[in-house]
Amino acid sequence: MPRVMVTLRLDPARATLAEVLGLLGLAPDEVDPGFGVVPIDPAEHLYTILVDQAAAARIAGAPQVEGVFGNPRIEPLGPEEGEGPEERPGKG
Amino acid sequence: MRVLVQFRTSPEVHAATLRGEAMPSFAATTEAPIPGLVIDPAYNPVQVPTPRAAEPGASPYLYSPAVSFSLAPEEATYLVRGTLPDDPDGRRAALAETAARPEVVGVFADPAIATCLVCPGDPAVGSDRDVADLLGVAALADAGLDGYRVPVAVVDTGINLAHLAGKGRDPRFSARRSWAPAGVATRPGRHPVGHGTMCAYDVGIAAPKATLVDHAVLLSATPGETAMSGLLSDAVLAFSKLLGIVSGMPAGRRALVVNNSWGMFDPAWDFPVGHPGNYSDNPAHPFHVIVASLEAAGADILFAAGNCGRDCPDGRCRFASARPICGANSHPSVLSVAGVDIRKRRVGYSSQGPGRLDPAKPDLSAYTHFLGSGVYPADGGTSAACPVAAGVVAAVREKYPASVLSPAELRALLAKTAEDLGGTGFDHDFGWGVLDGRALVAALAGVKRSRRR
Repeated sequence: MPRVMVTLRLDPARATLAEVLGLLGLAPDEVDPGFGVVPIDPAEHLYTILVDQAAAARIAGAPQVEGVFGNPRIEPLGPEEGEGPEERPGKG
Repeated sequence: MRVLVQFRTSPEVHAATLRGEAMPSFAATTEAPIPGLVIDPAYNPVQVPTPRAAEPGASPYLYSPAVSFSLAPEEATYLVRGTLPDDPDGRRAALAETAARPEVVGVFADPAIATCLVCPGDPAVGSDRDVADLLGVAALADAGLDGYRVPVAVVDTGINLAHLAGKGRDPRFSARRSWAPAGVATRPGRHPVGHGTMCAYDVGIAAPKATLVDHAVLLSATPGETAMSGLLSDAVLAFSKLLGIVSGMPAGRRALVVNNSWGMFDPAWDFPVGHPGNYSDNPAHPFHVIVASLEAAGADILFAAGNCGRDCPDGRCRFASARPICGANSHPSVLSVAGVDIRKRRVGYSSQGPGRLDPAKPDLSAYTHFLGSGVYPADGGTSAACPVAAGVVAAVREKYPASVLSPAELRALLAKTAEDLGGTGFDHDFGWGVLDGRALVAALAGVKRSRRR
Protein backbone atom coordinates (compact mmCIF):
# COMPACT_ATOMS: atom_id res chain seq x y z
CA MET A 1 0.00 0.00 0.00
CA PRO A 2 1.34 3.49 -0.79
CA ARG A 3 1.35 6.36 1.66
CA VAL A 4 -1.57 6.62 4.03
CA MET A 5 -3.75 9.52 5.07
CA VAL A 6 -3.58 10.86 8.61
CA THR A 7 -6.46 12.97 9.89
CA LEU A 8 -5.43 15.81 12.17
CA ARG A 9 -7.34 18.27 14.32
CA LEU A 10 -5.41 21.52 14.11
CA ASP A 11 -5.63 25.16 15.00
CA PRO A 12 -6.27 26.66 11.53
CA ALA A 13 -3.45 29.12 12.14
CA ARG A 14 -1.06 26.15 12.42
CA ALA A 15 -2.40 24.18 9.46
CA THR A 16 0.73 24.45 7.37
CA LEU A 17 3.14 21.72 6.42
CA ALA A 18 6.02 23.35 8.29
CA GLU A 19 3.94 23.59 11.46
CA VAL A 20 2.72 20.01 11.15
CA LEU A 21 6.24 18.66 10.66
CA GLY A 22 7.30 20.40 13.86
CA LEU A 23 4.21 19.42 15.83
CA LEU A 24 4.46 15.74 14.97
CA GLY A 25 8.22 15.36 14.64
CA LEU A 26 8.05 14.26 11.03
CA ALA A 27 10.94 14.47 8.59
CA PRO A 28 10.20 16.31 5.32
CA ASP A 29 10.77 13.17 3.26
CA GLU A 30 8.15 11.26 5.27
CA VAL A 31 5.38 13.56 4.07
CA ASP A 32 4.00 14.23 0.57
CA PRO A 33 4.66 17.95 0.07
CA GLY A 34 2.52 18.09 -3.05
CA PHE A 35 -0.47 16.91 -1.07
CA GLY A 36 0.19 19.32 1.75
CA VAL A 37 -2.26 19.89 4.59
CA VAL A 38 -5.74 19.48 3.16
CA PRO A 39 -8.81 20.82 4.96
CA ILE A 40 -11.50 18.13 5.02
CA ASP A 41 -13.93 19.73 7.46
CA PRO A 42 -13.01 23.34 8.15
CA ALA A 43 -15.82 23.81 10.66
CA GLU A 44 -14.39 21.01 12.79
CA HIS A 45 -10.77 22.05 12.13
CA LEU A 46 -10.05 18.68 10.54
CA TYR A 47 -7.21 18.25 8.05
CA THR A 48 -5.44 15.37 6.40
CA ILE A 49 -1.85 14.75 5.32
CA LEU A 50 -0.24 11.97 3.30
CA VAL A 51 2.64 10.21 5.05
CA ASP A 52 4.73 7.03 4.92
CA GLN A 53 3.11 4.12 6.72
CA ALA A 54 5.99 3.76 9.17
CA ALA A 55 5.83 7.43 10.08
CA ALA A 56 2.05 7.21 10.45
CA ALA A 57 2.44 4.38 12.92
CA ARG A 58 4.93 6.45 14.90
CA ILE A 59 2.66 9.51 15.21
CA ALA A 60 -0.64 7.62 15.64
CA GLY A 61 -0.78 8.40 19.37
CA ALA A 62 -0.15 12.13 19.06
CA PRO A 63 -2.96 14.33 20.44
CA GLN A 64 -3.53 16.01 17.08
CA VAL A 65 -3.99 12.70 15.27
CA GLU A 66 -7.61 11.57 14.80
CA GLY A 67 -6.78 8.46 12.80
CA VAL A 68 -4.66 6.76 10.13
CA PHE A 69 -6.50 5.74 6.97
CA GLY A 70 -5.98 3.83 3.75
CA ASN A 71 -5.36 5.38 0.36
CA PRO A 72 -6.76 2.80 -2.05
CA ARG A 73 -6.57 2.91 -5.81
CA ILE A 74 -9.65 4.11 -7.68
CA GLU A 75 -10.73 3.53 -11.28
CA PRO A 76 -13.41 4.68 -13.72
CA LEU A 77 -16.65 2.71 -13.55
CA GLY A 78 -17.06 2.68 -17.29
CA PRO A 79 -16.22 0.28 -20.08
CA GLU A 80 -13.16 -1.82 -19.38
CA GLU A 81 -9.89 -0.83 -20.99
CA GLY A 82 -9.69 -2.03 -24.54
CA GLU A 83 -13.37 -1.36 -25.28
CA GLY A 84 -12.70 2.21 -26.29
CA PRO A 85 -11.28 3.48 -29.55
CA GLU A 86 -9.04 6.13 -28.11
CA GLU A 87 -5.34 6.00 -27.47
CA ARG A 88 -4.68 5.61 -23.76
CA PRO A 89 -1.95 7.73 -22.22
CA GLY A 90 0.82 6.08 -20.24
CA LYS A 91 1.62 6.76 -16.64
CA GLY A 92 3.95 9.57 -15.88
CA MET B 1 -50.62 -22.82 -17.63
CA ARG B 2 -47.77 -23.84 -19.87
CA VAL B 3 -46.02 -27.07 -18.93
CA LEU B 4 -43.33 -29.42 -20.12
CA VAL B 5 -44.31 -33.09 -19.87
CA GLN B 6 -41.56 -35.69 -19.72
CA PHE B 7 -42.54 -39.06 -21.25
CA ARG B 8 -40.83 -42.38 -21.11
CA THR B 9 -39.50 -43.87 -24.30
CA SER B 10 -41.54 -45.28 -27.13
CA PRO B 11 -40.00 -46.94 -30.18
CA GLU B 12 -41.86 -44.68 -32.60
CA VAL B 13 -40.88 -41.44 -30.93
CA HIS B 14 -37.30 -42.58 -30.46
CA ALA B 15 -36.93 -43.49 -34.13
CA ALA B 16 -38.55 -40.26 -35.27
CA THR B 17 -36.31 -38.18 -33.01
CA LEU B 18 -33.21 -39.90 -34.30
CA ARG B 19 -34.31 -39.05 -37.84
CA GLY B 20 -34.86 -35.45 -36.80
CA GLU B 21 -38.53 -35.71 -37.56
CA ALA B 22 -41.44 -34.26 -35.73
CA MET B 23 -43.16 -36.35 -33.11
CA PRO B 24 -45.18 -39.00 -35.04
CA SER B 25 -48.30 -38.49 -33.03
CA PHE B 26 -49.29 -37.98 -29.49
CA ALA B 27 -50.95 -41.38 -29.50
CA ALA B 28 -47.56 -42.95 -30.12
CA THR B 29 -46.36 -41.53 -26.83
CA THR B 30 -49.34 -42.15 -24.66
CA GLU B 31 -52.05 -44.70 -24.92
CA ALA B 32 -54.92 -42.28 -24.73
CA PRO B 33 -55.35 -38.51 -24.55
CA ILE B 34 -55.06 -37.08 -21.09
CA PRO B 35 -58.09 -34.96 -20.21
CA GLY B 36 -57.13 -31.32 -19.79
CA LEU B 37 -53.64 -31.64 -21.23
CA VAL B 38 -53.29 -30.01 -24.66
CA ILE B 39 -50.07 -30.93 -26.43
CA ASP B 40 -48.41 -28.29 -28.66
CA PRO B 41 -48.03 -30.03 -32.06
CA ALA B 42 -45.51 -27.43 -33.23
CA TYR B 43 -43.03 -28.41 -30.55
CA ASN B 44 -40.82 -31.31 -31.62
CA PRO B 45 -40.17 -33.71 -28.76
CA VAL B 46 -36.76 -33.28 -27.23
CA GLN B 47 -34.78 -36.26 -26.06
CA VAL B 48 -33.48 -35.81 -22.52
CA PRO B 49 -30.37 -37.75 -21.50
CA THR B 50 -30.93 -39.88 -18.44
CA PRO B 51 -28.47 -39.18 -15.64
CA ARG B 52 -26.88 -42.14 -13.85
CA ALA B 53 -25.40 -41.72 -10.39
CA ALA B 54 -21.71 -42.47 -10.01
CA GLU B 55 -22.34 -44.44 -6.83
CA PRO B 56 -25.15 -46.86 -6.01
CA GLY B 57 -27.89 -45.21 -3.96
CA ALA B 58 -26.73 -41.67 -4.71
CA SER B 59 -29.03 -39.13 -6.31
CA PRO B 60 -28.09 -38.50 -9.93
CA TYR B 61 -29.64 -35.05 -9.69
CA LEU B 62 -26.96 -33.71 -7.37
CA TYR B 63 -24.61 -33.87 -10.40
CA SER B 64 -21.75 -34.33 -7.97
CA PRO B 65 -19.78 -36.52 -7.90
CA ALA B 66 -19.80 -36.61 -11.67
CA VAL B 67 -22.70 -38.51 -13.21
CA SER B 68 -22.90 -40.23 -16.57
CA PHE B 69 -25.75 -39.85 -19.04
CA SER B 70 -27.56 -42.41 -21.17
CA LEU B 71 -29.26 -41.84 -24.51
CA ALA B 72 -30.17 -45.51 -24.93
CA PRO B 73 -33.73 -45.92 -26.29
CA GLU B 74 -34.85 -48.00 -23.36
CA GLU B 75 -33.73 -45.33 -20.92
CA ALA B 76 -34.33 -42.15 -22.85
CA THR B 77 -37.12 -39.76 -22.06
CA TYR B 78 -38.76 -37.02 -24.11
CA LEU B 79 -40.10 -33.60 -23.38
CA VAL B 80 -43.19 -32.27 -25.07
CA ARG B 81 -44.81 -28.90 -24.54
CA GLY B 82 -48.40 -28.40 -23.60
CA THR B 83 -50.90 -26.47 -21.55
CA LEU B 84 -53.06 -27.28 -18.56
CA PRO B 85 -56.32 -25.44 -17.79
CA ASP B 86 -55.87 -22.05 -16.15
CA ASP B 87 -58.69 -22.55 -13.63
CA PRO B 88 -57.29 -24.02 -10.41
CA ASP B 89 -59.69 -26.96 -10.20
CA GLY B 90 -59.25 -27.96 -13.83
CA ARG B 91 -55.50 -27.58 -13.57
CA ARG B 92 -55.33 -29.69 -10.43
CA ALA B 93 -57.39 -32.49 -12.03
CA ALA B 94 -55.42 -32.47 -15.30
CA LEU B 95 -52.13 -32.41 -13.42
CA ALA B 96 -53.18 -35.39 -11.28
CA GLU B 97 -54.36 -37.30 -14.34
CA THR B 98 -51.14 -36.58 -16.26
CA ALA B 99 -48.82 -37.42 -13.40
CA ALA B 100 -50.66 -40.69 -12.75
CA ARG B 101 -50.03 -42.06 -16.23
CA PRO B 102 -47.27 -44.70 -16.18
CA GLU B 103 -45.72 -43.33 -19.39
CA VAL B 104 -45.24 -39.89 -17.79
CA VAL B 105 -42.02 -39.21 -15.88
CA GLY B 106 -43.06 -35.77 -14.66
CA VAL B 107 -44.82 -32.50 -15.36
CA PHE B 108 -42.76 -29.33 -15.07
CA ALA B 109 -43.37 -25.60 -15.28
CA ASP B 110 -42.50 -23.90 -18.54
CA PRO B 111 -42.11 -20.33 -17.35
CA ALA B 112 -41.68 -17.37 -19.64
CA ILE B 113 -38.04 -16.42 -19.89
CA ALA B 114 -36.79 -12.95 -20.70
CA THR B 115 -33.97 -11.86 -22.93
CA CYS B 116 -30.68 -11.43 -21.14
CA LEU B 117 -29.83 -8.25 -19.32
CA VAL B 118 -27.37 -5.90 -20.93
CA CYS B 119 -23.83 -6.85 -19.97
CA PRO B 120 -20.37 -5.30 -20.38
CA GLY B 121 -19.35 -5.34 -24.02
CA ASP B 122 -22.90 -5.67 -25.36
CA PRO B 123 -23.94 -3.32 -28.16
CA ALA B 124 -25.55 -0.01 -27.30
CA VAL B 125 -29.30 0.02 -26.67
CA GLY B 126 -30.80 3.18 -28.15
CA SER B 127 -29.17 6.57 -28.25
CA ASP B 128 -28.81 9.71 -26.18
CA ARG B 129 -31.91 11.05 -27.98
CA ASP B 130 -33.93 8.18 -26.54
CA VAL B 131 -32.47 8.98 -23.14
CA ALA B 132 -33.45 12.64 -23.51
CA ASP B 133 -37.01 11.65 -24.43
CA LEU B 134 -37.32 9.26 -21.51
CA LEU B 135 -35.83 11.75 -19.06
CA GLY B 136 -38.28 14.45 -20.09
CA VAL B 137 -35.55 16.88 -21.10
CA ALA B 138 -38.05 18.87 -23.15
CA ALA B 139 -40.20 19.35 -20.04
CA LEU B 140 -37.16 20.53 -18.11
CA ALA B 141 -36.23 22.94 -20.90
CA ASP B 142 -39.80 24.23 -21.14
CA ALA B 143 -39.54 25.03 -17.43
CA GLY B 144 -36.36 26.99 -18.14
CA LEU B 145 -34.12 24.33 -16.68
CA ASP B 146 -31.15 23.52 -18.90
CA GLY B 147 -28.34 24.02 -16.41
CA TYR B 148 -27.43 27.52 -17.60
CA ARG B 149 -24.19 28.51 -15.86
CA VAL B 150 -24.48 25.82 -13.21
CA PRO B 151 -20.99 24.43 -12.59
CA VAL B 152 -20.70 20.66 -12.98
CA ALA B 153 -17.40 19.21 -11.87
CA VAL B 154 -16.47 16.04 -13.68
CA VAL B 155 -14.05 14.25 -11.37
CA ASP B 156 -12.62 11.76 -13.81
CA THR B 157 -9.98 11.22 -16.52
CA GLY B 158 -10.28 14.73 -17.92
CA ILE B 159 -12.41 16.40 -20.57
CA ASN B 160 -11.68 16.98 -24.24
CA LEU B 161 -13.74 19.96 -25.40
CA ALA B 162 -12.81 19.53 -29.05
CA HIS B 163 -14.39 16.08 -29.04
CA LEU B 164 -17.55 17.49 -27.49
CA ALA B 165 -17.65 20.23 -30.14
CA GLY B 166 -17.27 17.58 -32.83
CA LYS B 167 -20.35 15.88 -31.43
CA GLY B 168 -22.37 19.09 -31.58
CA ARG B 169 -21.97 20.08 -27.96
CA ASP B 170 -20.94 23.58 -26.95
CA PRO B 171 -20.84 23.65 -23.16
CA ARG B 172 -19.49 26.50 -21.13
CA PHE B 173 -16.17 25.65 -19.50
CA SER B 174 -14.36 27.00 -16.48
CA ALA B 175 -10.62 26.55 -16.77
CA ARG B 176 -10.17 28.68 -13.65
CA ARG B 177 -12.09 26.21 -11.51
CA SER B 178 -10.55 23.14 -13.14
CA TRP B 179 -7.71 21.16 -11.69
CA ALA B 180 -5.43 18.20 -12.33
CA PRO B 181 -2.96 16.40 -10.08
CA ALA B 182 0.71 17.31 -10.32
CA GLY B 183 2.49 15.70 -13.24
CA VAL B 184 -0.47 15.64 -15.64
CA ALA B 185 0.94 16.95 -18.89
CA THR B 186 -2.27 17.98 -20.62
CA ARG B 187 -4.38 21.03 -19.79
CA PRO B 188 -7.96 21.12 -18.53
CA GLY B 189 -10.40 20.77 -21.39
CA ARG B 190 -7.66 19.34 -23.59
CA HIS B 191 -7.05 15.99 -21.99
CA PRO B 192 -7.02 12.81 -24.11
CA VAL B 193 -10.47 11.67 -25.21
CA GLY B 194 -11.65 9.05 -22.76
CA HIS B 195 -13.95 8.22 -19.90
CA GLY B 196 -14.15 11.77 -18.57
CA THR B 197 -15.18 13.11 -21.97
CA MET B 198 -17.93 10.51 -22.12
CA CYS B 199 -19.19 11.72 -18.73
CA ALA B 200 -19.03 15.36 -19.82
CA TYR B 201 -21.08 14.54 -22.92
CA ASP B 202 -23.70 12.73 -20.87
CA VAL B 203 -24.07 15.67 -18.45
CA GLY B 204 -25.10 17.66 -21.51
CA ILE B 205 -28.10 15.48 -22.26
CA ALA B 206 -30.18 17.28 -19.64
CA ALA B 207 -27.94 20.27 -18.95
CA PRO B 208 -26.47 21.46 -22.26
CA LYS B 209 -25.85 24.95 -20.87
CA ALA B 210 -24.05 23.85 -17.71
CA THR B 211 -20.52 25.04 -17.08
CA LEU B 212 -18.14 22.11 -17.07
CA VAL B 213 -15.34 22.01 -14.52
CA ASP B 214 -12.58 19.51 -15.26
CA HIS B 215 -10.97 17.64 -12.35
CA ALA B 216 -8.76 15.02 -13.99
CA VAL B 217 -8.13 12.98 -10.87
CA LEU B 218 -7.88 9.68 -12.73
CA LEU B 219 -5.02 10.97 -14.87
CA SER B 220 -2.92 11.06 -11.73
CA ALA B 221 0.74 10.39 -12.27
CA THR B 222 0.71 8.37 -9.07
CA PRO B 223 2.01 4.91 -9.92
CA GLY B 224 -0.84 2.50 -10.52
CA GLU B 225 -1.55 -0.72 -12.33
CA THR B 226 -3.47 0.91 -15.17
CA ALA B 227 -3.17 4.14 -17.11
CA MET B 228 -6.62 5.31 -16.05
CA SER B 229 -6.51 5.18 -12.30
CA GLY B 230 -5.58 7.27 -9.33
CA LEU B 231 -5.43 7.11 -5.61
CA LEU B 232 -8.09 8.24 -3.22
CA SER B 233 -5.74 10.95 -1.99
CA ASP B 234 -6.01 12.53 -5.46
CA ALA B 235 -9.78 12.69 -4.98
CA VAL B 236 -9.28 14.24 -1.53
CA LEU B 237 -7.32 17.05 -3.16
CA ALA B 238 -9.99 17.53 -5.82
CA PHE B 239 -12.75 17.69 -3.25
CA SER B 240 -10.74 20.17 -1.23
CA LYS B 241 -10.58 22.45 -4.30
CA LEU B 242 -14.32 21.98 -4.84
CA LEU B 243 -15.00 22.79 -1.20
CA GLY B 244 -13.14 26.04 -1.72
CA ILE B 245 -15.21 26.79 -4.84
CA VAL B 246 -18.61 26.22 -3.28
CA SER B 247 -17.67 27.94 -0.01
CA GLY B 248 -16.65 30.99 -2.02
CA MET B 249 -20.09 31.32 -3.63
CA PRO B 250 -22.64 33.70 -2.10
CA ALA B 251 -24.74 31.74 0.38
CA GLY B 252 -27.95 32.43 -1.52
CA ARG B 253 -26.60 31.28 -4.88
CA ARG B 254 -24.67 28.15 -4.16
CA ALA B 255 -24.86 25.52 -6.86
CA LEU B 256 -22.18 22.96 -7.66
CA VAL B 257 -22.81 19.50 -9.03
CA VAL B 258 -20.01 16.95 -8.62
CA ASN B 259 -20.03 13.87 -10.83
CA ASN B 260 -18.04 10.84 -9.70
CA SER B 261 -18.10 7.89 -12.08
CA TRP B 262 -15.35 6.01 -10.32
CA GLY B 263 -14.84 3.65 -7.44
CA MET B 264 -12.80 0.84 -6.01
CA PHE B 265 -12.96 -2.58 -7.65
CA ASP B 266 -10.78 -4.61 -5.34
CA PRO B 267 -10.93 -4.72 -1.53
CA ALA B 268 -7.29 -5.79 -1.57
CA TRP B 269 -6.47 -2.15 -2.31
CA ASP B 270 -7.97 -1.18 1.03
CA PHE B 271 -7.34 -1.95 4.69
CA PRO B 272 -9.58 -4.84 5.76
CA VAL B 273 -13.08 -4.15 7.03
CA GLY B 274 -12.79 -3.55 10.77
CA HIS B 275 -9.33 -2.02 10.52
CA PRO B 276 -9.45 1.58 11.78
CA GLY B 277 -7.89 2.80 8.53
CA ASN B 278 -10.42 1.06 6.29
CA TYR B 279 -12.11 3.07 3.50
CA SER B 280 -14.94 0.85 2.25
CA ASP B 281 -16.99 0.66 5.48
CA ASN B 282 -15.54 3.35 7.70
CA PRO B 283 -17.37 6.71 7.88
CA ALA B 284 -14.40 8.26 9.68
CA HIS B 285 -12.15 7.95 6.62
CA PRO B 286 -11.00 11.46 5.63
CA PHE B 287 -12.53 11.16 2.18
CA HIS B 288 -15.92 10.48 3.74
CA VAL B 289 -15.44 13.46 6.02
CA ILE B 290 -14.71 15.78 3.11
CA VAL B 291 -17.66 14.36 1.13
CA ALA B 292 -19.99 15.21 4.00
CA SER B 293 -18.36 18.60 4.41
CA LEU B 294 -18.75 19.43 0.70
CA GLU B 295 -22.40 18.40 0.74
CA ALA B 296 -23.05 20.45 3.87
CA ALA B 297 -21.57 23.44 2.06
CA GLY B 298 -24.23 23.07 -0.66
CA ALA B 299 -22.79 20.79 -3.34
CA ASP B 300 -24.77 17.98 -4.96
CA ILE B 301 -22.49 14.96 -5.07
CA LEU B 302 -23.32 12.03 -7.31
CA PHE B 303 -21.55 8.69 -7.37
CA ALA B 304 -22.01 5.80 -9.74
CA ALA B 305 -23.28 2.77 -7.84
CA GLY B 306 -20.67 0.55 -9.47
CA ASN B 307 -20.42 -2.18 -12.06
CA CYS B 308 -20.33 -5.27 -9.88
CA GLY B 309 -23.94 -6.42 -10.32
CA ARG B 310 -24.57 -10.07 -9.73
CA ASP B 311 -25.70 -10.94 -13.26
CA CYS B 312 -22.61 -9.91 -15.19
CA PRO B 313 -20.08 -7.98 -13.13
CA ASP B 314 -17.23 -6.06 -14.68
CA GLY B 315 -14.19 -8.31 -14.99
CA ARG B 316 -12.28 -6.14 -12.53
CA CYS B 317 -14.71 -6.76 -9.64
CA ARG B 318 -13.16 -8.64 -6.74
CA PHE B 319 -15.86 -8.32 -4.09
CA ALA B 320 -17.07 -11.94 -4.33
CA SER B 321 -20.17 -12.12 -2.12
CA ALA B 322 -19.42 -8.88 -0.23
CA ARG B 323 -21.57 -5.78 -0.79
CA PRO B 324 -20.07 -3.99 -3.80
CA ILE B 325 -21.54 -0.50 -3.20
CA CYS B 326 -18.90 0.67 -0.78
CA GLY B 327 -16.90 3.70 0.24
CA ALA B 328 -18.13 7.06 -0.99
CA ASN B 329 -20.33 5.33 -3.55
CA SER B 330 -22.46 4.33 -0.55
CA HIS B 331 -22.15 7.60 1.40
CA PRO B 332 -25.39 8.89 2.93
CA SER B 333 -24.64 12.42 1.66
CA VAL B 334 -24.41 11.45 -2.02
CA LEU B 335 -26.83 10.37 -4.70
CA SER B 336 -25.81 6.83 -5.62
CA VAL B 337 -26.90 6.06 -9.18
CA ALA B 338 -27.69 2.62 -10.61
CA GLY B 339 -28.02 1.92 -14.33
CA VAL B 340 -30.98 0.92 -16.50
CA ASP B 341 -31.18 0.69 -20.27
CA ILE B 342 -33.76 2.59 -22.30
CA ARG B 343 -36.15 -0.35 -21.89
CA LYS B 344 -36.05 0.48 -18.17
CA ARG B 345 -34.37 -2.79 -17.34
CA ARG B 346 -31.48 -2.89 -14.95
CA VAL B 347 -28.22 -3.45 -16.78
CA GLY B 348 -26.78 -6.70 -15.49
CA TYR B 349 -23.58 -5.13 -14.23
CA SER B 350 -25.21 -2.39 -12.16
CA SER B 351 -24.23 -2.96 -8.53
CA GLN B 352 -26.99 -3.85 -6.13
CA GLY B 353 -27.44 -2.73 -2.56
CA PRO B 354 -27.42 -2.63 0.34
CA GLY B 355 -24.61 -0.13 0.55
CA ARG B 356 -21.83 -0.37 3.11
CA LEU B 357 -22.03 3.10 4.70
CA ASP B 358 -25.73 3.58 4.05
CA PRO B 359 -27.73 0.40 3.46
CA ALA B 360 -30.41 2.27 1.46
CA LYS B 361 -28.37 2.27 -1.76
CA PRO B 362 -28.56 2.77 -4.66
CA ASP B 363 -30.73 5.87 -4.34
CA LEU B 364 -32.17 5.74 -7.83
CA SER B 365 -31.46 4.74 -11.42
CA ALA B 366 -30.62 6.59 -14.60
CA TYR B 367 -30.16 5.51 -18.20
CA THR B 368 -26.97 3.97 -19.52
CA HIS B 369 -25.53 1.77 -22.27
CA PHE B 370 -26.67 3.96 -25.14
CA LEU B 371 -25.03 5.37 -28.25
CA GLY B 372 -23.88 8.82 -27.25
CA SER B 373 -20.49 10.43 -26.94
CA GLY B 374 -18.75 8.27 -29.52
CA VAL B 375 -15.90 7.70 -27.10
CA TYR B 376 -16.91 4.05 -26.69
CA PRO B 377 -19.23 1.83 -28.71
CA ALA B 378 -21.74 2.49 -25.90
CA ASP B 379 -21.80 5.11 -23.17
CA GLY B 380 -21.93 2.38 -20.58
CA GLY B 381 -21.45 1.43 -17.00
CA THR B 382 -23.04 3.18 -14.10
CA SER B 383 -20.35 5.64 -15.22
CA ALA B 384 -22.78 6.91 -17.86
CA ALA B 385 -25.87 6.71 -15.67
CA CYS B 386 -24.24 9.00 -13.10
CA PRO B 387 -23.64 12.02 -15.40
CA VAL B 388 -27.07 11.55 -16.97
CA ALA B 389 -28.44 12.09 -13.46
CA ALA B 390 -25.94 14.87 -12.79
CA GLY B 391 -27.30 16.72 -15.80
CA VAL B 392 -30.82 16.57 -14.38
CA VAL B 393 -29.55 17.86 -11.03
CA ALA B 394 -27.69 20.69 -12.77
CA ALA B 395 -30.81 21.59 -14.72
CA VAL B 396 -32.75 21.93 -11.46
CA ARG B 397 -30.01 24.00 -9.84
CA GLU B 398 -30.34 26.67 -12.51
CA LYS B 399 -33.35 28.08 -10.63
CA TYR B 400 -33.22 26.26 -7.33
CA PRO B 401 -29.90 26.86 -5.54
CA ALA B 402 -28.95 25.01 -2.39
CA SER B 403 -30.33 27.82 -0.23
CA VAL B 404 -33.79 27.08 -1.64
CA LEU B 405 -33.51 23.32 -1.93
CA SER B 406 -30.72 21.70 0.06
CA PRO B 407 -28.80 18.79 -1.49
CA ALA B 408 -30.63 16.40 0.84
CA GLU B 409 -34.00 17.90 -0.09
CA LEU B 410 -33.21 17.64 -3.78
CA ARG B 411 -32.20 14.00 -3.37
CA ALA B 412 -35.49 13.35 -1.62
CA LEU B 413 -37.41 15.09 -4.40
CA LEU B 414 -35.61 13.10 -7.09
CA ALA B 415 -36.47 9.90 -5.25
CA LYS B 416 -40.08 10.92 -4.70
CA THR B 417 -40.62 11.74 -8.38
CA ALA B 418 -38.70 8.76 -9.79
CA GLU B 419 -40.69 6.22 -11.78
CA ASP B 420 -40.88 3.14 -9.60
CA LEU B 421 -39.26 0.06 -11.11
CA GLY B 422 -38.84 -3.42 -9.71
CA GLY B 423 -40.56 -4.04 -6.39
CA THR B 424 -43.01 -1.50 -5.03
CA GLY B 425 -41.14 1.44 -3.54
CA PHE B 426 -37.45 1.24 -2.75
CA ASP B 427 -35.45 -1.82 -3.72
CA HIS B 428 -31.77 -2.60 -3.92
CA ASP B 429 -31.73 -3.03 -7.70
CA PHE B 430 -33.23 0.30 -8.80
CA GLY B 431 -33.38 2.37 -5.61
CA TRP B 432 -36.55 4.46 -5.79
CA GLY B 433 -36.78 4.00 -9.56
CA VAL B 434 -35.60 5.78 -12.68
CA LEU B 435 -35.29 9.56 -12.91
CA ASP B 436 -38.38 11.24 -14.32
CA GLY B 437 -37.88 14.82 -15.45
CA ARG B 438 -41.58 15.42 -16.13
CA ALA B 439 -42.65 14.43 -12.63
CA LEU B 440 -39.75 16.44 -11.25
CA VAL B 441 -40.85 19.59 -13.06
CA ALA B 442 -44.38 19.13 -11.71
CA ALA B 443 -43.09 18.71 -8.17
CA LEU B 444 -40.80 21.73 -8.46
CA ALA B 445 -43.84 23.89 -9.06
CA GLY B 446 -44.51 23.59 -5.35
CA VAL B 447 -41.02 24.76 -4.37
CA LYS B 448 -40.33 28.44 -3.81
CA ARG B 449 -37.97 29.65 -6.53
CA SER B 450 -34.99 31.91 -6.09
CA ARG B 451 -34.52 35.18 -7.93
CA ARG B 452 -31.27 33.97 -9.45
CA ARG B 453 -30.34 34.44 -13.14
